[in-house]
Amino acid sequence: MRKLFASIHKELLLLINDKVGLILMFMMPILLVFIITIVQDSTFKLVNDNNIEIIVVNKDKGALGDSLSGLLEESGVFKITNRSKLSQKEIQKTLLSDNQLLALWIPENFSQQLTAKAQSVSTEMLSEFDIIENASVSPKIPTKIALYYDPILQENFRTSISGSIQSFLGALESRLMIEQLYVAMGFEDIPEAMEEKFFSNQITIDQISANTSSGQAIPNSTQHNVPAWSIFAMFFMVISLGSNIVKERLSGSFVRLQTIPSSFSLVLLSKMFTYLFVALLQLTVIFMLGKFVFPLIGLPTLSLPSNILGLFIISILSAFSAISFAMLVGTFAKTNEQANGFGAITIIILAAIGGIWVPTFVMPSYMQVIGNISPLHWCLEGYYTLFLKGGDWYLLFPTILFLILFILACQILTYSKLKIQNYI
Amino acid sequence: MTNVIELHNVSKKYSKSTRFSLENISFSIQKGEKLGVFGPNGAGKTTLMSILCRIIAQTSGEVIYKNAGENVSSKDFLNSIGYVPQDFSFYTELSPYQNLRYFGTLYGIKKAELNSRIEELMTVLGLQQVMHKKVQTFSGGMKRRVNLAIGIINNPSILFLDEPTVGVDVQSKNAIMAYLEELNKKGTTIIYTSHHLNEAEEFCDKIVLLDHGKLIAHDDIKTLIKQHNVADLQALFLQLTGIEYRD
Repeated sequence: MRKLFASIHKELLLLINDKVGLILMFMMPILLVFIITIVQDSTFKLVNDNNIEIIVVNKDKGALGDSLSGLLEESGVFKITNRSKLSQKEIQKTLLSDNQLLALWIPENFSQQLTAKAQSVSTEMLSEFDIIENASVSPKIPTKIALYYDPILQENFRTSISGSIQSFLGALESRLMIEQLYVAMGFEDIPEAMEEKFFSNQITIDQISANTSSGQAIPNSTQHNVPAWSIFAMFFMVISLGSNIVKERLSGSFVRLQTIPSSFSLVLLSKMFTYLFVALLQLTVIFMLGKFVFPLIGLPTLSLPSNILGLFIISILSAFSAISFAMLVGTFAKTNEQANGFGAITIIILAAIGGIWVPTFVMPSYMQVIGNISPLHWCLEGYYTLFLKGGDWYLLFPTILFLILFILACQILTYSKLKIQNYI
Repeated sequence: MTNVIELHNVSKKYSKSTRFSLENISFSIQKGEKLGVFGPNGAGKTTLMSILCRIIAQTSGEVIYKNAGENVSSKDFLNSIGYVPQDFSFYTELSPYQNLRYFGTLYGIKKAELNSRIEELMTVLGLQQVMHKKVQTFSGGMKRRVNLAIGIINNPSILFLDEPTVGVDVQSKNAIMAYLEELNKKGTTIIYTSHHLNEAEEFCDKIVLLDHGKLIAHDDIKTLIKQHNVADLQALFLQLTGIEYRD
């Protein structure tokens, strides 16, 4: 045991002296988790906080333009800025220069066109039902409004905004049409009780996230980024641990250790323990930031999962995956440059395909399949299951199995290579 | 004098090589001997030292380790040896004290004994003032002395040295050789390789001369010089191994 402690002590001393390694393992992920969370949080807010800023340029001479604008505002989805004096050319300039993303152009004959369309449809309907005499079929009346957008906006976001406006427009049209039907039948307006039935008693859609626990964790930038960048930080120890092994091999320290009556496995074990401590420290630091520092700067607070044992197991397996990968790279690399270059590039690629930067569900299906080879993906899956899906053991099982297999594969390859090199 | 190591027809062929690096080597090393292992580049010196230190295994033949006439196990043998490789095989980011404490603990030396041993070695090798400074700031000569100190931290009865004075100044070389002489006087068997033949001639009692993996001479230096009628070890070396380049 004394030998093991001496080896761990030596590893810690080497680690403390490896300033670049420490910066890469602690400062870089902390900066990344802050920057990426802040950046992504604004996107999440854009989508989730129901507060999309939109300029409304209402040129309508009638009242329906105002009604549409009112409906958009009442929905709570949009924050309306009325800029009725803008011309269509000025809208484009405003979007490009004023940091605005969307503008809705309502033409001056909007009410007239919409009313004419409603009248035409209602008249035709009543004529079909023989309530009134044959009505002349009026020509199709084109009704157009325009949605201007900043070119940086993604297509799916634009489509959802457009769909949302379309639904408000549809509601307005329906109301107008029914109103016209009643007027055509001699009523002054839609009866109040009927209006209530038509417009207020609509079917609502409950949105429920699939979750095995009773609590509802809301997916937000913190819930994604804190575990994601913790995993990235752990795997980036390849720079420190990988080059540590290469250095010891090239300097001849491993050869000297062979002439000492002490198990070489002890040396490897001490490295594993030391870097396990480092990995768990990284995780603790980044989780604490998410829990206590993020709320202070207006970011969502990290809510920890209820399955604490699951969190511990996934964290230990993630850490061992990172350690095993770093040891593998350190054992196979012939130089420090190889270990650092290959290690860093591999981790960046595995992080990208594994969903650390952007979640895999937004990737094309073939990339989602490829992402399965990344151990970072499985670590992240484990944390997603814990943080967002309630952390059921049944759901955690595939992650645990993959990570154990990955660790075993890396360890077997490392030991085989060291055996071939005659160290073991 | 009793033998501490015996080699019987030891051969070594590396898996990727087409020829033997060592071929049918047989000789013995006696207790308290100062044996020099020499040969041109590629002669098989490092392979022989590696086999003797149990770093690699021979392909065929037998290496017997003995203590007071009795055979000893590899593990007991490792407890009794010290190895000073040619490379600085330690942690330059750490101090000499930290390095010695680490390697000493791996040998199983108790804390109090280890501290006094470190103190003693640092004093003898002139490193006491810098024992808590990082080795990476040291000169080549100082690093060689740290390398030697680690190799002898366990007070070995057999010491293997691979080019212990390469690239050092005269003062450090003098200090290292003087200390090795002192160790030998206390009973340590020394097996040593070097390209400094003058230094070796002065230091060694016996030599083993290898060429192309074969043992071409093994005897007292004086006997061999007389036998081959040459002026010194360098002349003997050239006579037996030739003057062509060995790259």
